[in-house]
Amino acid sequence: MSSDKLNLTLRVWRQSGPEDHGGFQTYKLSGVSTHMSFLEMLDVLNEKLIAEGEEPVAFDHDCREGICGMCSLMINGQAHGPDRGTTTCQLHMRRFTDGQTITIEPWRAVPFPVVRDLVVNRSAFDRVIQSGGYVSVNTGNAPDGNCIPVPSSTQETAMDAAACIGCGACVAACKNASAMLFVSAKVSQLATLPQGKAERSQRVVNMVAAMDREGFGSCTNTSECEAACPAEVSVSHIARLNREYSKAILFSDT
Amino acid sequence: MNALLRLLSIPALIMSRLPGLAPVIRALSTSVGQKLLMAVSGLSLVGFLVVHLAGNLQLFAGEDVFNAYAEKLHSLGPILGIAETGLFAMFALHIGLALSTASMNRLARRTAYDVRESKQGLSVLPSGGASSWMMVTGCVIFVFLTSHILDMKLKMGPGVDYTAALDAAGEATNSFAAVKAVLSHPPHAALYLAGLFALGIHLSHGISSALQTLGLNHRNWNWLFRTAGVVTAWTIAVGFMSVVFWALNQS
Amino acid sequence: MFRVASDELNSRVPDGPLQEKWDRHRFDLKLVNPANKRRFNVIVVGTGLAGSSAAASLGELGYHVKAFCFQDSPRRAHSIAAQGGINAAKNYPNDGDSIYRLFYDTIKGGDYRAREANVYRLAQVSNNIIDQCVAQGVPFAREYGGTLSNRSFGGAQVSRTFYCRGQTGQQLLLGAYQALMRQVATDKVRLFPRREMLDLIVINGAARGIVVRNIETGRLEVHVADAVVLCTGGYGNAYYLSTNAKGCNVTAAWRCHRRGAYFANPCYTQIHPTCIPVSGDYQSKLTLMSESLRNDGRVWVPQQQNDGRAASEIPDSDRDYYLERRYPSFGNLAPRDIASRAAKERTDAGFGVGETGLAVYLDFRDAIRRDGEDVIRRKYGNLFHMYEKITAENPYKVPMKIFPAVHYTMGGLWVDYNLMSNLPGLYVLGEANFSDHGANRLGASALMQGLSDGYFVLPATINDYLATATLPRVVEDHPECTATLTAAQQRLNQLIGINGSRSVDSFHRELGLLMWDYCGMARTKAGLEEVIPRIRDLREQFWKDLRVPGSGTGLNQSLEKAGRVADFMEFAELLAIDALHREESCGGHFREEYQTEDGEAARQDDLFSYVAGWEFQNVGEEPVLHREPLNFENVTPTTRSYK
Repeated sequence: MSSDKLNLTLRVWRQSGPEDHGGFQTYKLSGVSTHMSFLEMLDVLNEKLIAEGEEPVAFDHDCREGICGMCSLMINGQAHGPDRGTTTCQLHMRRFTDGQTITIEPWRAVPFPVVRDLVVNRSAFDRVIQSGGYVSVNTGNAPDGNCIPVPSSTQETAMDAAACIGCGACVAACKNASAMLFVSAKVSQLATLPQGKAERSQRVVNMVAAMDREGFGSCTNTSECEAACPAEVSVSHIARLNREYSKAILFSDT
Repeated sequence: MNALLRLLSIPALIMSRLPGLAPVIRALSTSVGQKLLMAVSGLSLVGFLVVHLAGNLQLFAGEDVFNAYAEKLHSLGPILGIAETGLFAMFALHIGLALSTASMNRLARRTAYDVRESKQGLSVLPSGGASSWMMVTGCVIFVFLTSHILDMKLKMGPGVDYTAALDAAGEATNSFAAVKAVLSHPPHAALYLAGLFALGIHLSHGISSALQTLGLNHRNWNWLFRTAGVVTAWTIAVGFMSVVFWALNQS
Repeated sequence: MFRVASDELNSRVPDGPLQEKWDRHRFDLKLVNPANKRRFNVIVVGTGLAGSSAAASLGELGYHVKAFCFQDSPRRAHSIAAQGGINAAKNYPNDGDSIYRLFYDTIKGGDYRAREANVYRLAQVSNNIIDQCVAQGVPFAREYGGTLSNRSFGGAQVSRTFYCRGQTGQQLLLGAYQALMRQVATDKVRLFPRREMLDLIVINGAARGIVVRNIETGRLEVHVADAVVLCTGGYGNAYYLSTNAKGCNVTAAWRCHRRGAYFANPCYTQIHPTCIPVSGDYQSKLTLMSESLRNDGRVWVPQQQNDGRAASEIPDSDRDYYLERRYPSFGNLAPRDIASRAAKERTDAGFGVGETGLAVYLDFRDAIRRDGEDVIRRKYGNLFHMYEKITAENPYKVPMKIFPAVHYTMGGLWVDYNLMSNLPGLYVLGEANFSDHGANRLGASALMQGLSDGYFVLPATINDYLATATLPRVVEDHPECTATLTAAQQRLNQLIGINGSRSVDSFHRELGLLMWDYCGMARTKAGLEEVIPRIRDLREQFWKDLRVPGSGTGLNQSLEKAGRVADFMEFAELLAIDALHREESCGGHFREEYQTEDGEAARQDDLFSYVAGWEFQNVGEEPVLHREPLNFENVTPTTRSYK
């Protein structure tokens, strides 16, 4: 670290609304502390824009600790920026160099329409979950938590998949805008655990159909999603989805 | 462009309306279903290539051995016909699905990113390795195959001198000579090498990708699947290339 | 500063022995015929643990539910960030736990400022929560044999905490979210994401609907219902910097308060001792580091003020391990409020470290020497990694710098045993209500309370109201709806129309600083009397000099923030008044005048053993205090000691 202050050129996608065509705006920002998070850098930019009478850049964020999945951003062509296993809110400016130009774009996929600037609508993910991403158990119906033993390795595999934060980086990073990593994470979690097995066939068939309905692309096993995933969900879950799907269409009664 | 892409997905739509088989066809016409068929057809074609390569390598055993092998193949009669039909069907399915999924993929992102950068680190090929080149290599292979059928099956390769392969009646009976005639023709040799190089790239992603699509993924064995895919791919490509070099060397 | 009402708030706690209250009460509550359930509409605001679980459970029962959240998906509510775990009295480890012990620990941990009956019910229901979550596919940690794993947490003497790695809140929320999505798919619940509640519609004294703003389009909408359930979280962001998500706000609760709901105990705020300190004036939020780090880390500051040396160059003789010095028996494991106040005491005295002087060291040097780096890495690897990511310092080599930060708020809207506020038809669940944690919340209890309220308590109690209340049909263009809508619209126009010179964030930061300095870890009469007029001044400034760029149509994040900060400006004053009025120290509320000789919190049970429910008058006018006396029939309040 040569200096702890950066001078940056930001190329930010600005789009006034869903109907607007949008385009890049370039802003100069000086004296950016390397200790700032990326979103704090955008906060500083916005304060500057407001002071100059301009409208601030809209971007999604909430918990700023890497778990809510609200923040997004394609930073220099990489979902959530250059670090692996990291959300944009956990990315710090020390990863950038003085004088650098940073291009910031929204997630781009037809099922994620841009609402404004860098904000997109990810309701498609909710609709995919609605199609079967749950265990059908009403409140009060549950037997004792210990009545079905779950080997800790099984539980760990399920937890690896369940760690998905639903941010959409997999879709954003995929050259086909495929949602397979997201969908497979839920299918895999629930197919692995005994509690989810009763509905496994129906679930995978319905969720894949819902995914297609939303207009996501197909999976070409490029694994770019895995590299972009801040929760480091593995493509092995996509393989499990594929197995579940084949089993469901070949052998299941549903 | 979009209209064209939509047109391409019509066959799948029509198929899904068929009675009886409808549920299965519907299940197979989803994005995952199409990829499953893509994997099955692709692996079948790899199987064919292995058999084909085994046959071709007999060229090195000399004219008599190879011609006897060719004779044996042709004597299969209707079985050969069925096999060839199956082969063409696999190609057609594989290509059709490629166009259909590619159109789906194009429709999923209308606005391209201004800047793109892989997060998987360096790969030999730009923009995300072999997987990003499937359509391009697929098209090169298609051109090569078209030429290959013209050259070898129909004996209509432009600029190729087939005289050595003809018998007294003008029938092309000497397969050994026909192969040599085509492959020693430099423009053909170049096209074949390009096609085979594309095939190597195509399969180096295609084989392991097909295994993943079929659900073969285990952290203990993934290294094996991936290595086996690449090794098989380049064994096939280099195996066929060796025949081209052999022919060029013979002339 | 405030007026006192002569009435007593009626908590409607049922009679009978503690252990039977909930059972008996459920029997006494009226039920709604299954066929009639579909005639009732319920609005649920907020989709965290409480909101998602409530909306899903009500949908399962057959009610028509509308669920609202300001995030783009219900799954993003801040419950998702809870790390540690969820308590339940399962006693799987056979280590002597019981429903009564969980109840007792929670009451005691809350410094005897919670309602016995509520806390006992919470402990009873805790076991059902675990079962429900397991059945939903929540991947709780397991032993090798496949049974559920437990750990001890927050200094508890038994292992009763269930957890999913460090992401328990996430997994529980996703379980509830999935249950909710299942109901959305069946159309029993209609989902309204990116809607911010701006006001409550009260008709004939009962809560009958809400006004929301569609954040994407900017349009205001009226939604009417037979009951409104508020699950909108806490108000920690009144301090600007906190461990809360950026969007967390008090608006929904405050708007209900302005419509007549009492706000209870707003001065009870929990400040967590181990957070990553502020690094600069651009700081937007604070990150919590798990409390478990204090099991092996030693907290210290230099003995010399402004000691310029690097931590590693300061010999032990020049270090002040102040927690070990002051609390020899608990040492670094002293409870959250105590550890936080001790850090503040040292930094106030000028012994703080780091650029800002607002940090203390949490040092693993001795633990690494004793156990080796590998052992420490196994225990805390992910936390060390997170710390290094944020600060670019390697905690294996140099001590961590930590400082307390606002984390959770125990106060909230006042509710009775049924979780209904004093406004009929307005229910309040989770962190948004005040009911179960008293003056201080124990670790791993927030998740338990949110889910208890949503899955089990509300679905049982709301029937009674719907079955017995007279609820004439209300349509969207009812005069009260129109009036509330118009008022909400005018307020937005007003915010945009100020056209001053300062951004919302600059006001929010200034308010936060005031709150932190005067209503933070330690409070004084003089300080509170000083800060109240300053909050009023700042509020006046806000309404004169705010600049909200853009318009009311379409997405306008400045406008969203402006509305929230406007409410914090009013709320902050109430928090300070409550802190001023409560002339005692208890749990998260520490008044410097009320401490023992050793500097510990001194409760004044004979004067303040009550819940303070505040009634709104007008902005700047004296609020009215309604008291709910706390009766301890089963436990005897004692003084906590950690010497």
